[in-house]
Amino acid sequence: MSRFHITWDKGVGLFLVFTILLGTFSSEYFATTSNLTFIIRDVAEIAIIALAMAYLIIAGEIDLSVASMLSLSSATIGFLYRAEVPFEVAMVGGVLVGLLAGLFNGFLVTVLGLPSLAVTIATLALYRGMCWILLGNKPVNQLPSEWVNLGYSQIPGTFLPWTIIPVVVLAGLAWFVLHGTRFGRWVFAIGVNSQAAEFSGIPVRRVKLALFGFTGIMSGIAGVIYTLRFASSSPDGAVGYELGVIAAVLFGGVSIAGGIGTIWGVISAVLSLGVIRSALQLIDFSANALLVVSGSLLLISVIAPQVTDYVRNLRSTVSTTKQIQKNERVNHE
Amino acid sequence: MRSLKNLVRARELPVFAAFLIVMGGTSLAVPHFFSGKVAIDLFLGVAVIAILAVGQTFVIVMRHIDLSVGSTVGFSAFLIGDAYSKGMGLGTGMFLAIGLGLLVGAMNGFLVAYLKLPSLVVTLASLYIVRGIFNEFATGQTIIESEVPPAINWLGLNRFFGIPYLFLIGFALVIIAGFVMKRSRAGRDLYAIGSNPQAAELAGIPVARRVFFAFVATGGITGLAGAVLLGRFNSANPNSGLGLELLVVAACVVGGVTIAGGAGTVYGAFIGAILLQGITLSIGALGIPQFWQQAVNGSLIIGAIALDRYLSTRVKTTTIMGSKNE
Amino acid sequence: MLQSGRNEAGATPMLTISNVSKSFGGVRALVDASLDLYAGEVHALLGENGAGKSTLLKTLAGVHTADSGVIKLNGQEFKQGSTKASIEQGVAVIYQEPSLFPDLTLAENVFIGRQPIKSGLVDWHTMEVESKKLFEGLGINLNPTAKARGLSIADQQIVEIAKALSTEAQVIVMDEPTAALSAKEVDRLFEVANRLRETGHAVVFVSHRLDEVFALCQRMTVMRDGSTVGTQLIADTSEAQVIQLMVGREVAELFPKLDVQPGEIVLKVENLSSDGNFQGVSFEVRAGEILGIAGLVGSGRSEVVRAVFGVDSYDQGSVTLLGQRVPKASPSKSMSRGMALVPEDRRQQGLFMPTSIARNSAVTLLKKLSRGIFLSGKNESKVADKWGKVLQLKSASLLDPVERLSGGNQQKVVLAKWLATEPKLLIVDEPTRGIDVGTKAEVHRLLSEKAKEGMAVVMVSSELPEVLGMSDRVLVMREGRLVGSFERSEATPEKVIGAATGAMNKA
Repeated sequence: MSRFHITWDKGVGLFLVFTILLGTFSSEYFATTSNLTFIIRDVAEIAIIALAMAYLIIAGEIDLSVASMLSLSSATIGFLYRAEVPFEVAMVGGVLVGLLAGLFNGFLVTVLGLPSLAVTIATLALYRGMCWILLGNKPVNQLPSEWVNLGYSQIPGTFLPWTIIPVVVLAGLAWFVLHGTRFGRWVFAIGVNSQAAEFSGIPVRRVKLALFGFTGIMSGIAGVIYTLRFASSSPDGAVGYELGVIAAVLFGGVSIAGGIGTIWGVISAVLSLGVIRSALQLIDFSANALLVVSGSLLLISVIAPQVTDYVRNLRSTVSTTKQIQKNERVNHE
Repeated sequence: MRSLKNLVRARELPVFAAFLIVMGGTSLAVPHFFSGKVAIDLFLGVAVIAILAVGQTFVIVMRHIDLSVGSTVGFSAFLIGDAYSKGMGLGTGMFLAIGLGLLVGAMNGFLVAYLKLPSLVVTLASLYIVRGIFNEFATGQTIIESEVPPAINWLGLNRFFGIPYLFLIGFALVIIAGFVMKRSRAGRDLYAIGSNPQAAELAGIPVARRVFFAFVATGGITGLAGAVLLGRFNSANPNSGLGLELLVVAACVVGGVTIAGGAGTVYGAFIGAILLQGITLSIGALGIPQFWQQAVNGSLIIGAIALDRYLSTRVKTTTIMGSKNE
Repeated sequence: MLQSGRNEAGATPMLTISNVSKSFGGVRALVDASLDLYAGEVHALLGENGAGKSTLLKTLAGVHTADSGVIKLNGQEFKQGSTKASIEQGVAVIYQEPSLFPDLTLAENVFIGRQPIKSGLVDWHTMEVESKKLFEGLGINLNPTAKARGLSIADQQIVEIAKALSTEAQVIVMDEPTAALSAKEVDRLFEVANRLRETGHAVVFVSHRLDEVFALCQRMTVMRDGSTVGTQLIADTSEAQVIQLMVGREVAELFPKLDVQPGEIVLKVENLSSDGNFQGVSFEVRAGEILGIAGLVGSGRSEVVRAVFGVDSYDQGSVTLLGQRVPKASPSKSMSRGMALVPEDRRQQGLFMPTSIARNSAVTLLKKLSRGIFLSGKNESKVADKWGKVLQLKSASLLDPVERLSGGNQQKVVLAKWLATEPKLLIVDEPTRGIDVGTKAEVHRLLSEKAKEGMAVVMVSSELPEVLGMSDRVLVMREGRLVGSFERSEATPEKVIGAATGAMNKA
């Protein structure tokens, strides 16, 4: 099964190339620098959160509250800024709030032992609710222009938006830690068999707590970027983003059962979805098509391993039966 | 006498007690709180969620989940109005609505029961897909009051001895569903599957078939809930039903239908929905800004899950040393 | 083929299994196995782990279909491959870990899938009354309306037996039923088994415990390496003969124990207690010593060693390694001080099945293999390579997932992973369970060599010959307490089993 998944995430890379080609052919505006800028900026938040979600799902957990944590971080920034806290401090505050929210999720799961699926559905509501409490009905729209520009504009001389920097840096770090350090091995081990991981001396609970915290920080950072991009801090931002994150992570080759996945696959998937969204917009397909496509890709990403497993089992049963038949023939001679 | 003792021990009792406490407490703080108007608000507000929670119970009891109900219920509501506005009768509209629900349920059920895909992912995907198709179908249109079939409009506005019909529909459904879950082999099988899936297979229970039909049933109920949704709001649009799935799951969990499967009843889910709605009304009455609503809901669900987990770990299996004490 | 015992009445067998074979992939689990079962007898099925008993039972239960051979029940061909069909044909299997539905009542557990119906609806009242009757018929007083959650294993078995009777099962198979029972519960189970026998049922009793087999059963069949190697009347045979059949060679051959002079005290466990699991356990292990811990399954041995290593916590007492207190409940700290635990269940606790051999071997060494935070994949493979050679691991490639290996080779990987940490104390829990005899000998050789090199070894084992053959000292546990300690020279099967079952006073 793991071999198939390794092929799968290479496949997503190919799929990305395919979608880019498709996009180029479908609209003359697609391959323009301004469009590419738009795509990268569009997927930045999802990419950053997806990095952490990948770790979490590989370790066998899940967090449905990420969109609310993103929004909470954004709301905190607005709230603090409105209270005349310097904007830079407010941004740090936003990230910290994300961390705290993530750690709270982690506490509920690792210390109280609650199931992560159910509990993060609850914190989804809780953190969203806290956004409303912080800001009420009034979004904060007057944000310092020098920062807002960063959220929106490009690095001078290139078509790359400033937001690509955190994405690339974080993706690089995430890739390195997951595939090249002891901690990364631990994450995989916990996802494959958390009991064996414990028996092998891996501090399972601490690692999971850290992963939830990591998810919180990433959501916090995404919240900062989101706030700058839209130049606004409001309580109802990023509604439904968690689905986009999870769809990208699963389509990127991370197995929902845990223990399998690569950062490269996840990034390819995030970019692919961004490319598809852009292409659909450019050819005037409604955004609804994207919803259907995302949902279908999600399904494909879980059906495909089942199908290949089935085929593989079928083949091995056939060969075993043939072997037995051959043996029996030999015996009767 | 034994049944009275069982009643007291039932999971549903704390939920009902919590409801009474919330309503009672608010009544003390706010004079005239529990008036006829509040009761009506309660009944109307809870109708859709309560019906959806009944369907969701079938699925959660088997350790699955159906996140697609929000999209499906909205689409179903829209279909009824759309059919009527195009000159087709209520019957056709209902047929389409329930048919859609059954179709989505069958798709979910097939993928989960026969392809053995995780229900979280499958229903998350159908949430997306159904909403996408719905949006496309309905592009920007809204079903307005004049397009709502008169029968549904009437049901939404009127009451039977003071109790809104929409609520009674839900109540009737709960009774029927509760009966099926308790007194039919198929219903009992759902509990067995959730309590111990491997043992269920070994015991010869047709697990895949049960899972499939449970999802289909949930789908059908969701289609029906579309009619209630339409009656409640007298309108429908591409945003109808958005986000309802989480409230539904919350109502179930709070009502004692544990995510771990195998336990809980539709009665509990129903009471859970009523409790959530009661809290919403109380918050309003107590002058707490509406903005606290969601945070309160969230905390409540966390509390319910934690309590549920605590209660289940308290019953420890007899241990090595304990077993010798007979 | 030894003479097969015949029922005194000379009647025809109720169940005949003839020349049944079954393979999984390349592994031959059953090879021409044959068995005759008569009504009114309790028939023992013996054999070491991996001998094929489990596969045979699962075939009867309908989980597997035999590749070849014939099974007949009451003269009719037995329909295989469906659990429902097996139940309908009257074969009920009660597994070692009975699997009830914790959220359902006992009555419903008994009648699951076949609840009595009145006017189309489930008839709860009849269900409760009937199950109460069944429980009483077995001589046990259980409340049919209680939920199954929290029921003791002994009571769960009774519910399973009641379920079997309610399906009008004729053949009732009990798989290691006494593994987790207290002495009193074992007596109760025997009474139930005898009742079943008297009412014309055929009971298959799978067990390791020869004293129980000789006390309860009329005939026995021994399995080895997938085949049935002998069927005898209990009256016609002895324990020694049975062991001979099971093992297939002289016991002494198997255990190449080397003589070692024990050195300093490595592990000191004082008054270790964990509520409900074990109480007041104290012992010492010296360098070079192999300390065997014997006892029936469920006596608390695994719980003790897990607590010593830190996977589980404990309530009182202390663990000291080479003079230093070991903090509790921290496997990583125990590891860094030089402890290692090869766990009881290698599939669930010892290995990451879909992961490669290389990664499995190296998972305990990750700190040593990293320079700073950089982990080298090459180093992982080097470790696996080295240990693969030491343990004579036969495999195509180190990148293959461990699930492809045989049980014996899998166990070698677990050993490799722990030996690579160069521990001062190695704890092994059922080191040769489910392993072929050849690999068993290799594992024993390895443990002896390590002991000679100065490692302290604690070996928990349910296989008496292994315990007696390998240990310098034998500790015996029963129901959570240490009840016996024997030097190698004075340890005999009778003394050990006597202490383990508390049967010293039994006839």
